[in-house]
Amino acid sequence: MGQLPFDPRPWPIRRNQALQDQTMRHTIGFVTRRFALAKRDVYRKNPAIEASRQAAVGQKRQAIRDMPRLLEQFRAQVEEHGAQTYMAAGAHDAIAIALRIARQAQAKLVIKSKSMVTEEIELNQAFESAGIVVRETDLGEYIIQLAREKPSHILAPAAHRNRHQIDELFHHDASQQGIQPPVSDEIAELTHYARFRLRQEFLRADMGVTGGNFLVAETGTLVLITNEGNADMVTSLPRVLVSIVGVEKIVRDWSSLVQIIQQPAMSGIGRHLSSYTTMVHGPRQSASAEGPDEWHVILLDNGRKALLGTEFEDVLSCIRCGACLNVCPVFREVGGHAYGSVYPGPIGIVETPLLTDLQVLPEIPSTLCTLCHACLEACPMDIELPHHIVALRRLKAKRRLNARRLDWTMRTWARFWQTPQGYRRSVQIARLAQRVSRQPRILHSAPGLFGGWFETRDMPAVAAETFHEWWPKHHHTGASEK
Amino acid sequence: MPERQRIAKEDETVVARVQLFVTCLADMVRPQAAIAAVRAMERRGVNVEFPSNQTCCGQFSYNAGYQHEAAILARHFLEVFETGETGHDETEIVSLSGSCAAMVIHSYPQLLFDDAMEQGEPLSVAEDWKRRAQAVGTRIREWGTWMGKTFGSAQEKGHHLPVAYHLGCHMRRLLPPSGELTNMLKAQGILAREPDDADQCCGFGGTYSFTEPAISTALADDKLKNIDKLVHDQGAVCLTSADLGCLLHLAGRQRRQGSPFPACHISELVDLADQNRLTPEHIESLGDEGRK
Repeated sequence: MGQLPFDPRPWPIRRNQALQDQTMRHTIGFVTRRFALAKRDVYRKNPAIEASRQAAVGQKRQAIRDMPRLLEQFRAQVEEHGAQTYMAAGAHDAIAIALRIARQAQAKLVIKSKSMVTEEIELNQAFESAGIVVRETDLGEYIIQLAREKPSHILAPAAHRNRHQIDELFHHDASQQGIQPPVSDEIAELTHYARFRLRQEFLRADMGVTGGNFLVAETGTLVLITNEGNADMVTSLPRVLVSIVGVEKIVRDWSSLVQIIQQPAMSGIGRHLSSYTTMVHGPRQSASAEGPDEWHVILLDNGRKALLGTEFEDVLSCIRCGACLNVCPVFREVGGHAYGSVYPGPIGIVETPLLTDLQVLPEIPSTLCTLCHACLEACPMDIELPHHIVALRRLKAKRRLNARRLDWTMRTWARFWQTPQGYRRSVQIARLAQRVSRQPRILHSAPGLFGGWFETRDMPAVAAETFHEWWPKHHHTGASEK
Repeated sequence: MPERQRIAKEDETVVARVQLFVTCLADMVRPQAAIAAVRAMERRGVNVEFPSNQTCCGQFSYNAGYQHEAAILARHFLEVFETGETGHDETEIVSLSGSCAAMVIHSYPQLLFDDAMEQGEPLSVAEDWKRRAQAVGTRIREWGTWMGKTFGSAQEKGHHLPVAYHLGCHMRRLLPPSGELTNMLKAQGILAREPDDADQCCGFGGTYSFTEPAISTALADDKLKNIDKLVHDQGAVCLTSADLGCLLHLAGRQRRQGSPFPACHISELVDLADQNRLTPEHIESLGDEGRK
């Protein structure tokens, strides 16, 4: 079973805080719609990429099925190149390994490229507790690090913040550092400020940490895709490099990599490829001018392998493109933080409980999905997200994790409606309740679970004559002649 | 379709025979929609059967994770519609909700298979349920799409009344394209206009609408904002949909906010058009029928 960090505040508090934050809702609504539109455009203008997407799905599924063998092949290749590899069963193991490497290297400043897995294991917190300074070098990650926040979007961690808020953060940072703040809150100026700040850290850092988008088993290559090129610096400047990667990132060979590598950018931001592709084969060879002296690759399980061979196996094909977040109507309303997990959106409400065997945030498959199926339509890897969400709700009901009131209501409801007699009786009971509560035509309230509807909406009362009642009286007496 | 030809030979006036699946919401809170659908079909020579033992497709249980409860209702549904009242096994089933049709087509086979296995039935029994569900699934259609396909859009009327049309998520994503429905409406003089952001869920989501009212309502408010825009920019006179759940949710929200706006099932508009009564006044009085 995996270990995942989570926001311990109860769901209603997380939800209400999100719904009250109009600036965040506006920002996230704007960003997600823009990404979703860009994705739709790139697919519409390039019909041929559909075939490559389907090929990528096939390749990725096969790699997941062959995971144990391919991981062994990857490790053997990487070690042959002079690097070390480690298998971490859980988050704590990965942290322990990374800390040991950092201590041995006497690292004081660590620079990182964007990585969801290090969010998943809370690497920054562990390093900082050990007195090691960590600097995020992806612009979005840098922003949320300054704001002391978690990412709100898998692909765009600061998608919930607008440029005015980012300008404020940078001004605060500048005054602390005693340096010149951004000239204005224009995006180019903000970027310029971050570039200047980060450049100093790049040159001073003694250890780099990356995640990984793909692990190519054939050649033992780690592949990173970024839009800022920061991974090039992180993997080549510091003397020690640590890469922490989920085991599901494995791909068989370069021909399958070529298919799969296009998918995150196309489905995430509507571009054919990310701006930068960084590849790491091993530590610096004696002949080469740059690169780290040491490379350590930590392969993280943290609940993933337990999904192999189950109905949820396709979840391991996720390439973290964020397409499901961008189209999700609920995500667009509440943003990523309301989910309480480092993995928000449709993939997050499936993956968070699954990786932790429903120990962490078991409520989120129920509270954050209307089953509209937009995510299934958007997912380039054909992950059956709505199906899994229903399956998780089923697991919750089976393990009695739901409120007893919900159990009772759903069972009683079905018991009435399994026979025509029970169905008729439910109509009579509803009418009686409406009479007693003096709501003859329009209902403004109802008891029990149904009360939720009436917090914000009205509903017509049960008709004086239902269709079932109308049919025998009117139908055979020439109703069709009208 | 061979079946329809066979029936037509028996009786020249009957162009088709269907079984009506009224759905629980139409039956209980909007029977006018079902009555309108029956009238529109019979006017066109359709022989409508109503298997009166029907209750509900069980989607509310299924989506909430109560699989066994959903399976009980699904088995009842199959038993009712496999024979109907006159035993016409090949008859098409028309559903007054796209979402319920999608439930029968996409969820029943696996649901019934899994539930039978879980109840300790032999594999052959589970497979038999699955096969029966698949057979019924091939017969069920959403009403408006069926009307469009069966009667086409030949007799186009001159004038067009703009209406706000909400295409529900399950119809949009889980059923075959429903262009024939909007063409059929157009032929009736009904110009179905989709709001901006049409592919975003209205927030109904079945049981989600009352287990998570805050988010459900936030989504409704977004949808209603875009519908308002259709009213102002294009003069839409009402909101319509083939899914009553979404309609009740959106109309119920408007009523609570003190700005009720006419909302009706597409069948009610077709029925009005048939009678040359497709005017804003008649549409407005639709909701009052049978309630006074």
